[in-house]
Amino acid sequence: MAIERAAAEPGLHARQPRAIHSAFTVLEEVALCGPGVTAREISANLRMPRATAYRLLNLLVQEEYLVRLGDLSGFALGRKVAELAHLVTPARPSQAVRTIVSAVRAHVRGGVHLAGYAGSVLRILDEDPDFGLSDAARLTRDLEASAMGRLLLAESRRDALAASEGFVAETLARGFAVQTGAFDPARGCLAYPIRDGDGRLVAALSLCAPTELVEHPGRLLDELRDGATRLGPLLS
Amino acid sequence: MDALARAIARPEPVEGLAARSPLAGLARRSVGFADVLAQSVSAVAPAGAAFTTPFLVSAVAGGVSLPAIAAALVIALLTASTINEFTRRMAATGSLYTFVARGLGTAPAFVAGIGLLIGYAFIAMFALAGAGYYMVFLVTRLMPEASLDPMLLGAAAVVVLGVVCFLVLARGIRLSTRVTLLVEATSVALIVGLIVAVLASNAGRVPALVLEPPPFDVQAFAVAATLAITAFVGFESSAALGVEAKRPFANVPRAITWTVLLSGLLYLGATSAQIVGFDVTGLDPATSASPANDLAAAFGVPWAGFVLDVSIATSLFACAVASSTALVRVLFSMGREGLLPASLGTTHPRHRTPFVASVVALPVVTVVPVLMIVAIGGVWAAMTVLIILAAAGYILAYVLACVAAPVFLYRIGELTAWPLVKAAVAAVALTGMAVLYLVEESGGDRAFGVSGFVVLLAVGIAFTRERMLRRPWLRHAIGVYDHAVAGDVLGGIPAAEWVGEEPDRSRRGD
Repeated sequence: MAIERAAAEPGLHARQPRAIHSAFTVLEEVALCGPGVTAREISANLRMPRATAYRLLNLLVQEEYLVRLGDLSGFALGRKVAELAHLVTPARPSQAVRTIVSAVRAHVRGGVHLAGYAGSVLRILDEDPDFGLSDAARLTRDLEASAMGRLLLAESRRDALAASEGFVAETLARGFAVQTGAFDPARGCLAYPIRDGDGRLVAALSLCAPTELVEHPGRLLDELRDGATRLGPLLS
Repeated sequence: MDALARAIARPEPVEGLAARSPLAGLARRSVGFADVLAQSVSAVAPAGAAFTTPFLVSAVAGGVSLPAIAAALVIALLTASTINEFTRRMAATGSLYTFVARGLGTAPAFVAGIGLLIGYAFIAMFALAGAGYYMVFLVTRLMPEASLDPMLLGAAAVVVLGVVCFLVLARGIRLSTRVTLLVEATSVALIVGLIVAVLASNAGRVPALVLEPPPFDVQAFAVAATLAITAFVGFESSAALGVEAKRPFANVPRAITWTVLLSGLLYLGATSAQIVGFDVTGLDPATSASPANDLAAAFGVPWAGFVLDVSIATSLFACAVASSTALVRVLFSMGREGLLPASLGTTHPRHRTPFVASVVALPVVTVVPVLMIVAIGGVWAAMTVLIILAAAGYILAYVLACVAAPVFLYRIGELTAWPLVKAAVAAVALTGMAVLYLVEESGGDRAFGVSGFVVLLAVGIAFTRERMLRRPWLRHAIGVYDHAVAGDVLGGIPAAEWVGEEPDRSRRGD
């Protein structure tokens, strides 16, 4: 309980950094040994007293950095570690993907970006070099504000009660998501879904342009749809 | 951070994870710490117990009631800490039943499960009857001219409260826990206010409670501590919310420990206030019919009696809701496993509660106390019998859980010295207390409470044996808990889909 006790007291104490250090060592060891490693193995590998190792493991499980598997004796890295992974830059999309996105850009007046979805997380895979994103950090954080985020939210709330109202209903009815004025009062964004063979939402091709164009995209929508259809098999 | 960074960048696939928890259908990870705490606190109903237990305890213990309550608190803490060896590692709806299954196997789990069902069901009946009893008090206080039969009025109140309880339970876990949180917080605040008022107005006498201990009587002390432990039972009930709680491995154990500490401190305070109160007024608690009301009247605050009745009634109602919440979740677990009919293991598609289990359990919990009230001929008399069955059921389940904990820890390779010691001390102390309590009660006029418990336990064991013979595969099905699902684990979902998060998780329950 060393971490817990220290956290309850104001200020840093001499013991706290050591406890945190030990916790990270345990986390590191689970990553090194792979899923299914047991508490006994961890305490033996780290030459840490068993009671200490078990306490740290249970604390990490409480905080969901670690997860107990199947029969409860084995550990694996949990979803909190996955959240830390937001920090890791996604790999650059393949040449084939970049060629298709560039082709769409050549036909469209405005910023064309490619965003990928992993679970409920949005990541920009290919930003338009000529029309940069105004606030990429807010885009990935505040999903309700952006068209790319709204598309993801609408998809995840498809079966929920909220599906009958607000932007979720609009997006589901339209088949693509739209946002105007959230980042720039005169501009907006339109996100067209890219789906894999099973119809699962994997990415979005988005157009950022003046509000007028976003509200009446006309044949631009055909360009986006065409691009999205060709990107689907490459991104799933 | 090499290994960690590598694991994040290229998660190693984890095989064999289900996409859904075996307990899917409940509102998974939806209630926070306050709700989890409310569940445990309400099941104990400290506000209600704070004004009954001290009188019961001081009636047998005389001067040693404070040490007796302190001893009960220590034993309850050891038990809670042992049960937390499970709650820190396993999220289940079956509470102690599931824990014992994972430690000792099927047969002891059935005994623990029956004990727990008896405990939750009879404490819910006790609480409904008690809430009805105090509501009758309130009605006669507010309408003294209305000449109603208190017994029939009490029975009618029990039925009404039972229906309300069912509606709260069926509408969703958040509603149940919010109602209990609000109600219990109000009653505890009222009781604490009264305790502080009594002690503060007689501040000079408080040191004497500690500094001048009365002569120590070992036997009276043991009986009193046993009575006191019955005031703690129910603290583990938040373990039944393992699936529905957010961060269950942190919140459930914390709620259990806090509940024991909070109730213990409240009982110590209430006992001190009563000792001081009777000492100052010169009243005799043994001859007083309604000690709390007499005390309030003697202190010149007769309205306090009214406040007390309200807070005890509400506390007992919260207890009924909380105990039924736990009861239906244990039934739900047994339904999922196949021990009970599978329909009990289904959930309401919209409210995501164990709806069928509620439909089955609540009428029983409501009708039995009504029948007992009519048969015995009084609400209070019926309550004193119901509490015997409840306490015996709980303590049986606690003892088995304490025995199971070290075995469970050994099985997963995490046994150390301290958990073994505390489990052993708690198991021995609880067993001694249970035997003492049942022997004591089997001699009096409530003996049929004890025999009723033995009969119910025997019937339950016979049923589960019969069930096992017909369904041998149950041996492998007992003890379901909330497995880590693919979305919980780094590398659980292949390719780029591994960052499972809230919108996705909440949908998984449907």
